[in-house]
Amino acid sequence: MESLRDIRQEIKSIKSTKQMMLTMKMISSARIKKAQQQMEDGRPFAKKMAVMIDNLRKDIQNPSSEIHNLPAYRFFDNSSTDKNSVALVLITADKGLCGAFNAVALRAALKWVRENDEKEKYIFVIGKKGRDFLRRLKVPRLHLAGELIGIFPRASYAHAAMIKDTLFELSQKYNISRVDLIYNDFKSMASQSLISKTFLPFNFNEIPGEEDLSDFIFEPSMLDIFLTLLPRYLSASVYRFLLESQAAELAARMNAMEAASKNAGDIVDKLSVKLNKVRQATITNEITEIVSGANAINN
Amino acid sequence: MAGKKKLKLQIITPQKQVLDKEVDFIALPAYNGEMGVLPGHVQYVAKLNYGVLRYKDGNTQEEFAIMGGLAEIAHDVVSVFAEDAALAEEIDEAEAKQKLAQAKASLSSHDADIDMELAEMELKKALLMLKVKNKKTKF
Repeated sequence: MESLRDIRQEIKSIKSTKQMMLTMKMISSARIKKAQQQMEDGRPFAKKMAVMIDNLRKDIQNPSSEIHNLPAYRFFDNSSTDKNSVALVLITADKGLCGAFNAVALRAALKWVRENDEKEKYIFVIGKKGRDFLRRLKVPRLHLAGELIGIFPRASYAHAAMIKDTLFELSQKYNISRVDLIYNDFKSMASQSLISKTFLPFNFNEIPGEEDLSDFIFEPSMLDIFLTLLPRYLSASVYRFLLESQAAELAARMNAMEAASKNAGDIVDKLSVKLNKVRQATITNEITEIVSGANAINN
Repeated sequence: MAGKKKLKLQIITPQKQVLDKEVDFIALPAYNGEMGVLPGHVQYVAKLNYGVLRYKDGNTQEEFAIMGGLAEIAHDVVSVFAEDAALAEEIDEAEAKQKLAQAKASLSSHDADIDMELAEMELKKALLMLKVKNKKTKF
């Protein structure tokens, strides 16, 4: 049987673990408000960039347009036949202790790697968990094209711009026909959902067209505007994905820590009952010994 | 001023909407030189340089440092999409100088932990901030 001291020690250690989990939960819930605000603040820019790109749709799709001669046109060309190189942007967290958050993203990444087994694969990974996972993965034709570690919970637009630059470079250097994306989407405080989709080439059906830019005058030229717009649109999109993942990570950690501290509470309750039983048993034992000792003397 | 047409000026950066205001006149740092906008302007999309945006509302005039981007003019709404924007008066010269020094130091330190591209962007930003600030004081 465990001694009283052992049980007390165990209770004490579990209580302090619980305290830590509660603290982590509180940190996450404090940060999540900021993360949500950041998402909210970034929305007008991203939305407008998408609308403007959409407004140029006619010009982009017009086969005689100069845009077709640009290297950047590949981001809009769905008919590309060269499908030998693909890229993936994988967004995970830097830290664990957030439930299945990293596991689902990594599982999806593994699936992606298998699906593109025959192709040259270039992965840009955000988050330590994803990077460590990919480093251990020994698969042919898999290249770690870039990594960004330690940006959460302070992901900024500059980070997104860096990811965009790397993607641009990669796509030109290795003739990449498709860029996929895996990240956790922030649905609500209670739920995150994994998104695995094609980021590029550009899908016009994803954005609703509002106004029509055909009456506009462009300065210096439509082409220049397009070239200014495109990187900003891409950065704004990547920025949004980073923020979504950041908020989702915090929400996941909050939930995981809440569940864990609840479990810790249950264990403490159980151990307390056990402690009381053991203490009672010891006391009963001692009384029995004293009584029987006294009886022996009296007899 | 009753019935006088006004322009709606919106300055939006990836981080947040910096400004949303009714004004009388706007001067944009367009790519081919400064461009003035009054109510009733033709529909226009312009590429912007790193530079100064000025606007006038009644008797007040203010300046913004704009880090490149685009401006869209449509139906008396001027939307400026900049990488970053700061009100000239709010720029803290000492802070900008400090940031400049910091960026320079991290660029020359060759430390593996330092993000070179980020430091370079900071450097560019700090330089413009100082430029706008100093220009303002010269008037």
